[in-house]
Amino acid sequence: MAIKPRVPVREQPAEERIHNFNSVPYGYSEEEAIAEAQRCIQCPNPTCEAGCPVNIKIKDMIRLIKEGKFAESYLLTKQDNAFPACTGRVCPQEDQCEGVCILVKTGQPINIGKLEAFVADWGREHNVTEETVSASKEKKVAVVGSGPAGLACAAELRKFGYQVTMFETLHKPGGVLVYGIPNFRLPKEIVQHEIDYLEEIGVDIQLNMTVGQNISFDELRENYDAIFLGTGAGAPQFMGIEGEKLNGVYSANEFLIRANLMKSYLFPEWDTPISVGKKVGVVGAGNVAMDAARTALRLGADEVYIIYRRTMEFSPARNEEIEHAREEGIIFKELVNPVRFVGNDQGWVTGVELIKMELSEQDSSGRPRPVPVEGSEFIMELDTVIEALGTVPNRLFLSRAPGLKTDRKGVILADDNRMTSIEGVFGGGDATSGAATVIKALGEGKRAAESIRDYLEGK
Amino acid sequence: MSHKITRKMDLNSDDFYVEVEAPLVAERFRAGNFTILMTVPHGERIPMSIMKAEDGKISMFIKKLGKTSRELYKELDTFENVIGPMGKPIDIKNYGTVVVASDLVCGHAENYAICKALKEAGNKVISYQTFPTEKEIYPEEVLANDVCDEFHLTTEDGSKGEEGHYIDLLEERLENGEKVDIVFAGGSLPNLKELGEMTKEYNIPTIVTVRQIMVDASGMCGACRVFVDGEMQLACIDGPMFDAHKIDWGAALRRPKMYAEMEKVALEHCKELGRCE
Ligand SMILES: Cc1cc2nc3c(=O)[nH]c(=O)nc-3n(C[C@H](O)[C@H](O)[C@H](O)COP(=O)(O)OP(=O)(O)OC[C@H]3O[C@@H](n4cnc5c(N)ncnc54)[C@H](O)[C@@H]3O)c2cc1C
Ligand SMILES: Cc1cc2nc3c(=O)[nH]c(=O)nc-3n(C[C@H](O)[C@H](O)[C@H](O)COP(=O)(O)OP(=O)(O)OC[C@H]3O[C@@H](n4cnc5c(N)ncnc54)[C@H](O)[C@@H]3O)c2cc1C
Ligand code: FES
Repeated sequence: MAIKPRVPVREQPAEERIHNFNSVPYGYSEEEAIAEAQRCIQCPNPTCEAGCPVNIKIKDMIRLIKEGKFAESYLLTKQDNAFPACTGRVCPQEDQCEGVCILVKTGQPINIGKLEAFVADWGREHNVTEETVSASKEKKVAVVGSGPAGLACAAELRKFGYQVTMFETLHKPGGVLVYGIPNFRLPKEIVQHEIDYLEEIGVDIQLNMTVGQNISFDELRENYDAIFLGTGAGAPQFMGIEGEKLNGVYSANEFLIRANLMKSYLFPEWDTPISVGKKVGVVGAGNVAMDAARTALRLGADEVYIIYRRTMEFSPARNEEIEHAREEGIIFKELVNPVRFVGNDQGWVTGVELIKMELSEQDSSGRPRPVPVEGSEFIMELDTVIEALGTVPNRLFLSRAPGLKTDRKGVILADDNRMTSIEGVFGGGDATSGAATVIKALGEGKRAAESIRDYLEGK
Repeated sequence: MSHKITRKMDLNSDDFYVEVEAPLVAERFRAGNFTILMTVPHGERIPMSIMKAEDGKISMFIKKLGKTSRELYKELDTFENVIGPMGKPIDIKNYGTVVVASDLVCGHAENYAICKALKEAGNKVISYQTFPTEKEIYPEEVLANDVCDEFHLTTEDGSKGEEGHYIDLLEERLENGEKVDIVFAGGSLPNLKELGEMTKEYNIPTIVTVRQIMVDASGMCGACRVFVDGEMQLACIDGPMFDAHKIDWGAALRRPKMYAEMEKVALEHCKELGRCE
């Protein structure tokens, strides 16, 4: 039987969307979702489920969509994944479920991501609610950080009946989902819906509270029966090259926090400014780099370059983001690496000196190692530079939590049950793995909640 | 989570005093800490020094500069968010003889807080507060005269108090061989740089507030990066006070001006809305 091609995803045309921050894909309609679901051959041994970091029951999720049972499909998905509307949009599906879909050989795997987002949106829009909170228990748990790991852990703990207080540094909950990933990829009302739900079921969210700074880790240990650390890996890394002090050189984190959390794209209605020149260079080629580049374009840059030391086929970004970036006119400068930033006498960046790179043998990441071509340096003119070189755990918290074992980079060590080196203190998400993915953070948050339950019940 | 402003008063024609309910910040404040304010829900996160923290309230001195400060002055009786305490407090201990000096709004707020803390720690505390002329001098109730051992009110034109900037007066003092174990100072950045150059000659440790533009103020963005002894430090979590002798002043003086053009736009917009003067 011939398999039909994927049902195309309707999207905002590139020339239109580069002027706004609205969602790029429109999402499947009911008919489109059913048609896409009908392409699934319902394998007896669904490889997609094994490819999913939290083993969502994808086969049944799709079958229920095919049968038009959207509410059932939604609730089924929610059993394994607290935020399907988010992960449907941001998971690297090609490396997970879709990458091992049996149809991948045809070049047209089932669009599992878009189906997941469809059922999740359908559930939200139709107010489908899930299981309720069990009888209230007295034990108290503190959740530190309100990113996906913290949110998933808090939701689960609350459902078990514990008293849950969540502490968040920023004035808005959501972690990277809110301050990092732009609205055109993950509309903020979707995240807000999940947070509203948490508050509805009784999670106490304490904003503007940095554990280790304005409330101490010891206070938490005294006042709570268990603690979950979902503090993420939010601190930017800089290249450490000449010229980083220049005005106009940003970390991607700063650029995206300004744009997303502080909504500088609505300046001056919103107060926080952001500086975007005509020619913008983004160093790096992961999801963060794509987000920064596409944000810069929407903020009015004429030319935006991705500056990458390998070739794009080795980029860790989601395929969809690379594709969208290309359609929007982002220019990929491959096989080059910054040597220094150059500036004018007012101290503003005016360009970057790049050195050409060649790919050599594979390195530990399984990708070819880029090596500089001696004497190949040249200057590229730029008036804004954004460094998207990856992030590491925030040393502020770590320096105030003595006794918590970490690796050299500050990644908190946790065992299989997600317990850290301190008894009763659990961890998950980027804080315990280094910068990773939303689905991994969600999965670990949930797993930690189960371990916390076992711990509190003395199992 | 709105915070009620309990007192607002003019300090001079440019600066004003604000006292606001912020029990959590007040309870944990130590000299050297600052707060992050959001005046309105769509506002910027801006850092402010804290002059004192009492009875669940904090007091600040604020200069009418751009949109945020001017709208606050004219229109607001609450803050959306008062966050903190942020930053590292100073090391509060007995140094011996300490000079605390300031010549600008934030510096004056810190002057009070640091004098008070260091006097309580048993130091001999000498405070210098410099204003351009008699006209700009703050009301006596907010000056550091009551929380130090020796108070010097100075004006640059000599219209009241001692004549001269604190840098010159302090230099005279050092030249006379008077003992000073450490200097804490805040205010104008170029003057802090000059102060550092001066005290370096006398080998006196000098800790100054390096005001930089901040966003999250929790070490997540790098906007506030300063270079101290060749190393990148974050003013929001490693500072805001650093050793004046080790700072890369070139970058520190330049970076706060990064948004000058956009700040004008924001202020114009606020004026159009009739919410700023
Ligand atoms: C721009 C960008 C794009 C990305 N795109 C994708 C993508 O497309 N797909 C994907 O799967 N992943 C993506 N990621 C990665 C993904 O977002 C993270 O892996 C995920 O958010 C980790 O979740 P978390 O809960 O562990 O941490 P975070 O989301 O980082 O949340 C941690 C929270 O803890 C708070 N916090 C930290 N310290 C303290 C403290 N001491 N006290 C109180 N609160 C504290 C922080 O303010 C933050 O809100 C992206 C990341 C970025 C930055
Ligand atoms: C640790 C610290 C303590 C401070 N203490 C005081 C104080 O006690 N009193 C006081 O009046 N001011 C203080 N400031 C400066 C204060 O944050 C700015 O004056 C304020 O942000 C101005 O906002 P605006 O909208 O009124 O003016 P704008 O027109 O937006 O800005 C005027 C100038 O303020 C500075 N500024 C603007 N935004 C920020 C920001 N997000 N972070 C830091 N600086 C910024 C810039 O240098 C800018 O050129 C402090 C800054 C720091 C870093
Ligand atoms: S203000 Fe963001 S790191 Fe200091």
